[in-house]
Amino acid sequence: MMRQLLVFALARIKRISVTQAEDGVDALRKLAGARFDLIVTDINMPIMDGLKLVKRIRGDETHKDVPIIIITTEGSTEDRQRAMALGANAYITKPIQAPQVIAKVQELLDL
Amino acid sequence: MDDEPDERQLRESDLPVDLSQERESFVRQFMRRGMELTEGLLEENKRLHEQLDELQRQNARLLAQIASDDAIRDLLTKIEALERERRELLDKSTELEEVKRRSEHRNVEIEQELHDLANLYIASSHLHSTLSVRGVTRHLCELMQQLVGAEIFAIYLLHDDEGVPLASDGVTLADVPIVTPGEGAIGEVLMTGLPAIADAPQPGGSLDAPVAAIPLLVRDEVVGAIAVATVFEQKSHWAAVDEELFKLLGSHAATALLSANLYSREQSPTEALDGLRAQLDTP
Repeated sequence: MMRQLLVFALARIKRISVTQAEDGVDALRKLAGARFDLIVTDINMPIMDGLKLVKRIRGDETHKDVPIIIITTEGSTEDRQRAMALGANAYITKPIQAPQVIAKVQELLDL
Repeated sequence: MDDEPDERQLRESDLPVDLSQERESFVRQFMRRGMELTEGLLEENKRLHEQLDELQRQNARLLAQIASDDAIRDLLTKIEALERERRELLDKSTELEEVKRRSEHRNVEIEQELHDLANLYIASSHLHSTLSVRGVTRHLCELMQQLVGAEIFAIYLLHDDEGVPLASDGVTLADVPIVTPGEGAIGEVLMTGLPAIADAPQPGGSLDAPVAAIPLLVRDEVVGAIAVATVFEQKSHWAAVDEELFKLLGSHAATALLSANLYSREQSPTEALDGLRAQLDTP
C-alpha cells in the first residue's frame, strides 16, 4: 500500500521513473541488472529486512553511493541512528505524507 | 573791368586790423571747440561701443542661461516621468510577486489535495481488492497502521447486541474485551453511529479511552467500530486527510467485510452472481 502511494506520487505526479521490488531479495536482483539513482525501502520486509538491504547495497560497487531513503513505522532514535550508521541518507517515519517523501527525493536527486 | 579792384582784396584791405584778428581768434576758437566736440563725440562713441559690447555679452550669457534652464526643465520633466514609470513598474512587480506567491501556494495546496485523494483512492481500492474476510481485515489493519499511523487499535463487529473484537494490532485479540453498546467510549459509538475523535492523537489513550473511535456503517446502520488506543509517537497531530480516511474506513471497511462475508458462503464467483439477473428484472 505504501508502495502504491509512493509510485503514484513519484511516477504519476512527479514523472519520476520508478521500479518496484517485492522484498529485499527482489530489490537486489533488480539492482544487479540496472543502475538506479535512488532507493526507497521499508525496514519491516519479508525474507530480507531493510537494514540488511542497506548494508548489502553499501557493499556493492555500482550502488554504494546511491542515496537511500528508509520509510518505516519504527520511530525510535536508536532505529534511526542504526539505519544512518549503515549508510541510509534519510529516515522517514510512517504515517507518511507523500509530499514529504517527494521533497526528500528531490533534495537527494538535486531536482 | 580790368580796372575794378578784386572784391576780396578790397574786402580784406578795407577790414580794420583788429577785426581780422578777431576773425582769426574766432576761427581758432571754433576749430578748437570743434575738435573738443569731436573728441567728446569720439569718447562718447567709444563708451557707447563698450556699453554695447557689455550688453551683448550679458545678452549672450542670459540666452545661455535660459537655454540651460530649459534643458534642466526638460530633464526634470523626463526624470519625473521616469520616476512615475519606475513606481508603476515596482507596483506591478509587487503585484506579480503576490500573484506568483498565491499561485505557488495554491499549487502546493492542489498537490496536497491530490496526494490526499490518492490516499483515499488507494485505501478504498485495497479494501475492495479482496473477497476474503481475512484479506479485508489484513488490509484494514495495514491501512490503520500505514495511513493513519495507528499503533494500538481494535476492530469490533456488532453481534447479538455486543461489540465483539474481530481484529487488533499492538494488543493480543484475546486481551480486547467485548463492548456493550452504550457503555464507554466505544459503546457510545456503537449506539449512536457517530465518530468520537480526540482533538489531538497525543498523548495516547487506551481501548477504554481511545483517541479515535469510528463507527462501521452499512447504509447508515452501525455494524461495528474501529477504536484507536494509541498512534505512533511521531504522529503529533491529526493530518487533514485523517478525517476523510476515518469516514472512508467507516463505510468502505464495513461494505468490504460484508461483501467478503457473503462471498465466502459461495463456491465460486459465478455462483455468487447467481440470481443477479432476477434482481435486476424485479421492479
